[in-house]
Amino acid sequence: MKELDPLLHSQLRLAVMSILMNVEEADFSYLKEMTNSTAGNLSVQLDKLSTSGYIDVEKGFVGKKTRTTCHVTEKGRAAFEQYVEAIKTLLNL
Amino acid sequence: MEEKNISSQESMAIISEMIERSKNRHYLGDGNILLLWGYTVVAVAALVWILLAITHYPAMNWFWFLIWIVGGIATPIMVRKRRDKRGVTTYADNLCNALWSIVGYSAIALTFLCVGFLLVGGKDSWSAMLLLPLVIVSIAEIMQGVVMCERSLIAGGAIGLLCGLFTSCCIAGGVTLSAHWYMPMFIIAFAAMMIIPGHVLNCKIHRKK
Repeated sequence: MKELDPLLHSQLRLAVMSILMNVEEADFSYLKEMTNSTAGNLSVQLDKLSTSGYIDVEKGFVGKKTRTTCHVTEKGRAAFEQYVEAIKTLLNL
Repeated sequence: MEEKNISSQESMAIISEMIERSKNRHYLGDGNILLLWGYTVVAVAALVWILLAITHYPAMNWFWFLIWIVGGIATPIMVRKRRDKRGVTTYADNLCNALWSIVGYSAIALTFLCVGFLLVGGKDSWSAMLLLPLVIVSIAEIMQGVVMCERSLIAGGAIGLLCGLFTSCCIAGGVTLSAHWYMPMFIIAFAAMMIIPGHVLNCKIHRKK
């Protein structure tokens, strides 16, 4: 039986990865709104995904405000695809 | 949403829900950039038409460069504002940006070629500039319409393309592109290509709100 990636098998991290798999890049506010999460929690989970190399996080400025954008890496994409395959196997889909 | 472990069924539910929520591939955005270019082109074309009719002085054609000045300055600002407002970039956005960049670079290259011809004393090649907005722009618009599934862009682009093909036949057939009939056709083509779709898009956005 395939092992489920513990990094992805978490509600918020999986939600973030599902969104990022569907778009080219998304900023922090967009992810916060889509996942209905708090800024602190989202920030921690983005750090975990970034540290594991699943996403790239870029920090920049729009005028005087900071803007954090995220996009999924090749490693993250492969991990997500493997995760979905594992889930499908588990659910006999 | 919190950081907690989940069952396999919940995983599938989260993936489906997030994909559904972020399904922005057919996001059209507002029609403000189209309106900016449409109204600028129509206004400048009308200005050149009037000046040519009054003065009969071909140098009035230099006023066409007003289009690049206005559009070239305002477009990057508007694109960046729109991107920051949405907070997300999709594959379709990147495709359309690349498409319009190709149009922009083609226009710059063609302008340099026409000026080059003029400087070396070649025959007036500025009529080639009339083909660019009507053929290349309309093809880009039709392609954007297909990607975004927006009929007004496809229809407007088709009208522009038809006018462009007619213009190319006139040039090839040695028919003089007289301002008396060419300028009104040019203005109508751009109104169909940019102003009408721009208002259609804004109307759709307004209705969604």
